[in-house]
Amino acid sequence: MSYIPGQPVTAVVQRVEIHKLRQGENLILGFSIGGGIDQDPSQNPFSEDKTDKGIYVTRVSEGGPAEIAGLQIGDKIMQVNGWDMTMVTHDQARKRLTKRSEEVVRLLVTRQSLQKAVQRSMLS
Amino acid sequence: MQDRLHILEDLNMLYIRQMALSLEDTELQRKLDHEIRMREGACKLLAACSQREQALEATKSLLVCNSRILSYMGELQRRKEAQVLGKSGRRPSDSGPPTERSPCRGRVCISDLRIPLMWKDTEYFKNKGDLHRWAVFLLLQLGEHIQDTEMILVDRTLTDISFQNNVLFTEAGPDFELRLELYGACMEEEGALAGAPKRLATKLSSSLGRSSGRRVRASLESAGGLGSSPILLPTPAVGGPRYHLLAHTTLTLAAVQDGFRTHDLTLASHEENPAWLPLYGSVCCRLVAQPLCMTQPTANGTLRVQQAGELQDWARVHGVLKGTSLFCYRQPEDADTGEEPLFTIAINKETRVRAGELDQTVGRPFTLTISNRYGEDEVTHTLQTESRGALHSWMEALWQLFFDMSQWKQCCDEIMKIETPAPRKTPQVLAKQGSLYHEMAIEPLDDIAAVTDILAQREGARLETPPPWLAMFTEQPALPNPCSPASVAPAPARTHPMPWGRPRTFSLDAVPPDHSPGAPRSVAPLPQQRSPRSRGLFNKGPPRTWLQSPV
Repeated sequence: MSYIPGQPVTAVVQRVEIHKLRQGENLILGFSIGGGIDQDPSQNPFSEDKTDKGIYVTRVSEGGPAEIAGLQIGDKIMQVNGWDMTMVTHDQARKRLTKRSEEVVRLLVTRQSLQKAVQRSMLS
Repeated sequence: MQDRLHILEDLNMLYIRQMALSLEDTELQRKLDHEIRMREGACKLLAACSQREQALEATKSLLVCNSRILSYMGELQRRKEAQVLGKSGRRPSDSGPPTERSPCRGRVCISDLRIPLMWKDTEYFKNKGDLHRWAVFLLLQLGEHIQDTEMILVDRTLTDISFQNNVLFTEAGPDFELRLELYGACMEEEGALAGAPKRLATKLSSSLGRSSGRRVRASLESAGGLGSSPILLPTPAVGGPRYHLLAHTTLTLAAVQDGFRTHDLTLASHEENPAWLPLYGSVCCRLVAQPLCMTQPTANGTLRVQQAGELQDWARVHGVLKGTSLFCYRQPEDADTGEEPLFTIAINKETRVRAGELDQTVGRPFTLTISNRYGEDEVTHTLQTESRGALHSWMEALWQLFFDMSQWKQCCDEIMKIETPAPRKTPQVLAKQGSLYHEMAIEPLDDIAAVTDILAQREGARLETPPPWLAMFTEQPALPNPCSPASVAPAPARTHPMPWGRPRTFSLDAVPPDHSPGAPRSVAPLPQQRSPRSRGLFNKGPPRTWLQSPV
């Protein structure tokens, strides 16, 4: 999903609502993220475009809140509770997901299978 | 009690010296004496130390001396055993198996050691609380040789512990086991309770907070030896700093590679230990081995080589067998002067050698053939030696070389480079550094240049005039840009893509940064940042990591 700066981004997204799980002192979501504008995008195994510096889901814990909510490995996170995640540093992304005051996060994620599904349904 | 310990200690030293003398092994005895003297010196120094850092250095020397003494003693005992067994031993009529071939020795060098740390992100990013500091060093043991690295001070602003040393072991066999041990000690005093009577100490420690109380109790209970047995070599100063074993691992020939590799560490301490450090559990290093058969000639002599195709024409050359090739020089002196050989015959695992008894050409005895397969072709060289004895010694050298190659495996593919270890510099106190992450500058200028590059490529003709917002970025002089200005040319003039997104990994398998306090801010242009010495602590140019964080 490449984009041109200055041009609006269009993507087919899915809403994923994750209810955080309390584990001792922490609220966890049960997945790991990779990427960010301060990271090297060529090492991202999930992106179609190797210059994409977005935030990707690199791992989903089994049975965790993220898996239950329908998040999949390889998803690109576009927004979290309304905050943009396409042009953030790795640390900013992590902070936006792990705010202690929020128990629910609503993500907008996109994946390649979604795009293809829409294209197929448009053709048929 | 102290007196008794002193007596025991003296008796032990006497015993050690006696054993060394009786074996008449002057080399080992000399080394042992040297270590014992060093140990006495370190004890005296430790008693005289006032500053914590000096005490740590002295304790480290003490620990190293102790380990060396123990290993020499172990070696002495082994040799004594072997001697005793040899004397009482086997009857000469026992014809054992023919003398087994032993592989050649080699040099093993380990360098660029780096141990990543895994701080809790709350500690790391918020920087709250006192800055706990630890002193760590590595102890490396191969056979009976023990070497140590310099002592490095670690605090929570460091992401990994990097040692700049190259440690070289000579006389290693292909079955070597390089044991790596990481020792750490707390910089701060381990509580004023270190010397207090035990009952008072227990009372106080139980009334302190949970975690600090546990730590104090652990430090009191682990009284005695610095990792070695207390009875044999008791510690003289109980109040001094104590090193704890944090992790260890053993590396063998399988780990040798001409490049950086990551190995697992076995963690040996737990959180209650006062010197506990959050280790990630791996160590990266460059472990290379140079077997002697690769660097030194194993055989040389006069040979007559049959020229390819011409049955009657045999050239007289001086052959030198070194490494994986047989170099044939015109004259014996050429080998020393560095002249190019007339030709070179490759000898590797696939080469086949035969003593040429089957195809003896008339009047040409004592030949041997060497065959190599290059793709579809098979190239055979026929060599004639001067006598039966010479033929035998050449064949012997070749068999030994094949055996060495089978034992040293990947080390015989190509000579691995070993840099001579630099002279040990005096340990410097690590200046208090800012957090690595906080000072890593993100270069918007870099990104903008690359982004407008994509623009130029994608949009093509539509981008004759640069978009108006670009002016905002190119006219900003205030942005910190340690990179040379040449790499950030204004977009419209750019015709070729800037090399970005280079596949450089700065994860576990890369060259560590140079933590020496003298490292200047890097002003070199981007392509030069490969060498570890010129790399500064800040500003790494294009991002090289692709971090993953659990949320």
